[in-house]
Amino acid sequence: MILAADGRVVIVGAGQAGAWVARTLRDEGFTGEVTLIGAEAYHPYERPPLSKDVLKGADAATTGALLTAGQAQALGITCLLSQTVTAIDRAMRQVTCVSGQTLPYDVLFLTTGSRPRPLPWPEGEGAERLHGLRTRDDALRLRSALDGAQSLAVIGGGLIGLEVAATARQSGLEVTVIEAGPRLCARSLPPVASDWLADLHRQNGVSLRMGETVAGVQSDGLGVTLTLGDGATLRVDQVLVGIGILPETGLAQSAGLTLNDGIVVDAEGRTSDPAIFAAGDATRQPCPMGAAPLRQETWANAQAQGIGAARAALGLAPTRVKLPWFWSDQYAANIQVLGRPDLAATCIEQTAPTADTASWRMLDAAGTLVGAVAVNAPRALRDVRKEMEKARAAKQA
Amino acid sequence: MTDWTDVAAVEDVPDEDVLGVVADGLRIALFRLEGEIFALHDLCSHGQAFLSDGFVEDGCVECPLHQGLIDIRTGAARSAPITEAVRSFPTRVIGDRVEVGL
Ligand SMILES: Cc1cc2nc3c(=O)[nH]c(=O)nc-3n(C[C@H](O)[C@H](O)[C@H](O)COP(=O)(O)OP(=O)(O)OC[C@H]3O[C@@H](n4cnc5c(N)ncnc54)[C@H](O)[C@@H]3O)c2cc1C
Ligand code: FES
Repeated sequence: MILAADGRVVIVGAGQAGAWVARTLRDEGFTGEVTLIGAEAYHPYERPPLSKDVLKGADAATTGALLTAGQAQALGITCLLSQTVTAIDRAMRQVTCVSGQTLPYDVLFLTTGSRPRPLPWPEGEGAERLHGLRTRDDALRLRSALDGAQSLAVIGGGLIGLEVAATARQSGLEVTVIEAGPRLCARSLPPVASDWLADLHRQNGVSLRMGETVAGVQSDGLGVTLTLGDGATLRVDQVLVGIGILPETGLAQSAGLTLNDGIVVDAEGRTSDPAIFAAGDATRQPCPMGAAPLRQETWANAQAQGIGAARAALGLAPTRVKLPWFWSDQYAANIQVLGRPDLAATCIEQTAPTADTASWRMLDAAGTLVGAVAVNAPRALRDVRKEMEKARAAKQA
Repeated sequence: MTDWTDVAAVEDVPDEDVLGVVADGLRIALFRLEGEIFALHDLCSHGQAFLSDGFVEDGCVECPLHQGLIDIRTGAARSAPITEAVRSFPTRVIGDRVEVGL
């Protein structure tokens, strides 16, 4: 399926991937209709600042703007905001919105992202003290809840939870992180880096409770009582739940697209329907390193996949798929991770870790370089990236 | 008329690399490409990163935070996530000194 110059494009999901699809179509000279539909009330924005600058007080409306109203207008991109798409009719090639409005398409992009895994406990009284963090509205709600609070419990020692923990500590709150597993960020970091990060949080005064589960949450007018797996209780003012995300695949599923814990796409974002592309957190894509297909829950992936899918729809030559990569900012640490930590069997120090910097190369069981972690050391990460890209090119030649 | 400000010794601007300086309270990143010196505002247009911490390759500087590319000669955005140009300043060499027109 290649988009004709006067074709009609509909993009469902006005986030990181959706905005880059729209921008790229215009950058590459597409002159047909582009309609970007988003459930949130805002023009597309980047989420990374939500747990960092926005939570610290930066202006939410302008921080991380991806496609402002003015830019959208100048580029001829129609944004339908506060609008949810409820169905795709693949035979008729049209989508239906919750408002009842239908929009025809020649090519459809699904960039629906993901949503926080819900709390396993029923929400009830005091639910206003329990927070998730995905959207700008979530961040504003959390920000006002933390303003004046003295203590925060973070359920889940993953990246979002730790970023919020760091921000809350910097604002002087007492912070406890409760993680069921034996180490922090077990899915996204190798063990040495988890340990380094745990030290960083302890040095900053966070109480880390590892290997600890939450059996119950009870809130009242004054606070929240968490009952832990060992029977102990913890009383706090506010709770952030960061226990992972689920790909937003409901629409794709009802439309009968091929799914596998994510919308299955090829390296250029094609789904099982030639008229439908998908990009971002909602997808499962081939691994550029040749390992099993993966879901990437990262800013860089949503951007790159959005650009790649738009180019593919226009029939342009594919650009080289980049190696998986993400960053996280906690306190003064900029942590960058390249490759596949899940394949790492050993880590080698590139430089001896200090309180502020560290970098490790990750090797798989066969001794092949599969990535790197660098703390405040972007050059170290870039060197490994170049090395891995060279090896990849040599293998493909 | 351009106001020229002395910012560095020519020999301090590394070949195919970058040097961060401060001129009149403004952070400037100086680059040398094929012997010619270029100056950009030393702040990425996407976020809080100094371009003088970045990496020079193929006439572009790669931002150390999110890998966006900026054209060193013009300050133009060359790859996502950068969408806005970075301000570029004229330069001239007087003797062994670099001057920037602010
Ligand atoms: C707080 C926070 C901090 C983060 N920090 C980092 C970081 O430091 N580094 C990093 O690499 N990554 C980070 N990420 C991850 C990164 O932001 C995501 O990977 C990225 O936003 C994914 O982009 P996406 O376009 O796939 O999804 P999203 O940006 O989530 O966009 C999807 C959009 O689609 C909308 N939508 C869904 N279904 C429908 C429908 N049926 N109709 C209409 N609209 C719909 C949603 O409302 C949403 O607005 C962070 C994420 C969060 C939440
Ligand atoms: S701060 Fe430079 S690319 Fe983001």
